[in-house]
Amino acid sequence: MKTKLTAAAAIFLALGVSGFAHRLDEYLQATLFSLGENRVGAVMRLVPGVAVFPGVFATIDTNGDGILSEAEQQAYAERVLGDVSLSVDGKRLRPRLVSVNFPTTEAMKEGLGEIQINFMADLPAGDPNRKLVFENHHQTPISAYLVNCLVPRNRDIRVVAQNRNSNQSFYELDYVQADGRSGPLSLVKSWSGVRAALGSSVGFASIFRLGIRHIAEGTDHLLFLLALLLPAPLLASRSQWVGFEDVHHSLLRILKVVTAFTIGHSITLALAALGVVRVPSRPIEVLIAVSILVSAVHALHPLFPGREAAIAAFFGLIHGLAFATTLGQLGLGRWERVTGILAFNLGIETMQLFVVAATMPSLVLLSRTRAYSVLRIGGALFAGFASVGWIVERLLEAHSSVDLVVDRVAHQAIWIAVALFLMSLVCWFRRNVLAKQARGFA
Amino acid sequence: MNAFSIRTTWGIGVLALICLSLIPAHEQTATSRIVAAANTFLSTLNDKQRQTVLFAFNDEEQRKRWSNLPVSFVPRGGISLKEMNTTQRAAAMALVASALSARGFEKVQQIMEGDEVNKNTDQGPPGNRGPRPPAGAGGPPPSGNGGPPPSGRGGNRPPAWNGPIFGKDLYYISILGKPSEKDPWMLQFGGHHLALNVTIAGEQGVLTPTLTGAQPALYTIDGKTVRPLGQESDKALALLNALDENQRKQAILSYRLADLVLGPGQDGKTIQPEGLKASDMNERQRAMLLDVISEWANIIHESAAAARMAEMKAGLNDTWFAWSGPTTATPGHNIAAYYRVQGPNLVIEYAPQKLGGDPAMHVHTMYRDPTNDYGRKFTAK
Repeated sequence: MKTKLTAAAAIFLALGVSGFAHRLDEYLQATLFSLGENRVGAVMRLVPGVAVFPGVFATIDTNGDGILSEAEQQAYAERVLGDVSLSVDGKRLRPRLVSVNFPTTEAMKEGLGEIQINFMADLPAGDPNRKLVFENHHQTPISAYLVNCLVPRNRDIRVVAQNRNSNQSFYELDYVQADGRSGPLSLVKSWSGVRAALGSSVGFASIFRLGIRHIAEGTDHLLFLLALLLPAPLLASRSQWVGFEDVHHSLLRILKVVTAFTIGHSITLALAALGVVRVPSRPIEVLIAVSILVSAVHALHPLFPGREAAIAAFFGLIHGLAFATTLGQLGLGRWERVTGILAFNLGIETMQLFVVAATMPSLVLLSRTRAYSVLRIGGALFAGFASVGWIVERLLEAHSSVDLVVDRVAHQAIWIAVALFLMSLVCWFRRNVLAKQARGFA
Repeated sequence: MNAFSIRTTWGIGVLALICLSLIPAHEQTATSRIVAAANTFLSTLNDKQRQTVLFAFNDEEQRKRWSNLPVSFVPRGGISLKEMNTTQRAAAMALVASALSARGFEKVQQIMEGDEVNKNTDQGPPGNRGPRPPAGAGGPPPSGNGGPPPSGRGGNRPPAWNGPIFGKDLYYISILGKPSEKDPWMLQFGGHHLALNVTIAGEQGVLTPTLTGAQPALYTIDGKTVRPLGQESDKALALLNALDENQRKQAILSYRLADLVLGPGQDGKTIQPEGLKASDMNERQRAMLLDVISEWANIIHESAAAARMAEMKAGLNDTWFAWSGPTTATPGHNIAAYYRVQGPNLVIEYAPQKLGGDPAMHVHTMYRDPTNDYGRKFTAK
């Protein structure tokens, strides 16, 4: 033991340091994540050991004057952020530097100085089941990495699993975000009564909630349904949308479309969730985007007039497979899965009905006026633009701003629905008054 | 007759007074013993020393001024044993002993004694061991890894290389607030590899956060082998060995941990727990885990320790055990592996330090309650 100590002491002496010093030949880099509703934050604490300090210092002190200027500190922090990569659900995020703090050079020289870098990144909207991947490649040969995640303060966010490689330069964090964002969510929250009524078993309630959220936030499912409903109150004549159905028929048509969609996705959801069919998720995601494009085109020019219900059922089959992926990620047992499908589907239905109830009166009223074609064409173009973006993004695994734009719009969904309703009332009254006046003149 | 009755009255009066003073002595609680020891210690100090020792209870800077590092690198507040005379030193150690259990106090002494061994084996004459900081480098002393930047009264000491680094007299004592049986106050005692933070609030005693460390983790003194943190190592290894293959797979992490995750300066943080949950252990293994925890929970005096152990038992099912590194150790030596025990009110980390030498010989441990660091549960107003 004594020889060991002496040997150690000799090493320390050679390096000009005594045996207590905290770090010696490693560059310790400890990252601590904190998950928020729509952003992720992290603190990186970097402590260069005594032996590696000169090298590290030289890379920071780029002008070699022995002093770390504000600009050099800032530039170093940015360089560190350039050496890390952060992604969520396969989408690369850009970490934004929030702050950087440097210790004194003397402290660093002794292996005691801690450089602190705070960064943050906005999270794109997505599935409740999220995967965050963080890789740190800063100064790999000399570094010892630590990565951890704080237990989320928000109780709706739950960490499911953490995986790291042996030196912790690679970190994978799976978590579930069970509740969420602004916009449609305030609606979801008002459903807590429903939830409480159903919630004798926590699992059931939370899966039900997941179903609601999946529609509320799964903008692609919603967009498909809305695009398909756009021409529902109208009559097609050859390749044009002309005139309108009476109220009774309009309602019936809408009901048919929604029910057909439900039947379609219920079938595949059950089959896939029970493991009868197994489909990779990427082609499904692409097909879902295609389904939106098809219904958007249909809203512009009737492709399959009168057969919306059949189309809704067909694409429902595809959407159901995507729902199953979400459900599958929960890792439920066999019996839980059966009740899970029920709960999840009920959640989807509830939210769907809610959306239909919120938009249908406006659609029926507006369809009686000329203004409707503006809404129909505008809505179809928006859905078409989004679907093309998604198709490209999902095919090429490229990053586009479609999600960003669509989410912005979706966050205002309530106001858009309200505005739409007011507008439809105004248009309808104007039409009726004008008609009356015309009759009066006659 | 008259005179007799006066004398009798006096006698009865004096007797009554003695009895009265005896009654509280019989009912003396842990807190009142600690308060008495604190007042005795303070009474041995001169005014200037007393001012150095006493801080306001809400002095957050002093509260967090602790570290694993030697005092020459991270100056502590308060007054060191070195600056005291024999009487004062005895009173200071009596105060520390009053707040701890017998085993807890022994552990503290062994850690301090280890630093004395350090001083005698590992160190040349001071000032000879490396570059001094450039003259006039008067910036704030080292921060971060060694704890929050010290300042105020402790801040004028040179950052490093000046003055002795090791030795059992380089331990500092400080008191936050006024020692009281009712109102909250705090006792701090620490130096290299030691940071005791004892918060007293009525009969509640809280030891979190506390850091213990040892280097060398094994030494001989008067022919006796001492391992200050030997039980911490042995009990955890015994638990690991008591796990079956499946449990070990969960408990043993697949990655290396170079250091404490929640060391100095990381108060109140709760990281996502990992490893094997105690609900997946059998009764015997659960008892062993509780026994590992007791090595820290029982450092504080017996009645506070009993309350703490009851809390640990209540949260045991949600307590996790995680291990990283070698799964064997030389008999009679400490492990070279990192381990963590984390529960609803607990984080224990045991982290061997890689410093070119044998990591098993240099250990840092951290004991926390992220929900109640510095007894905030009991002191919050």
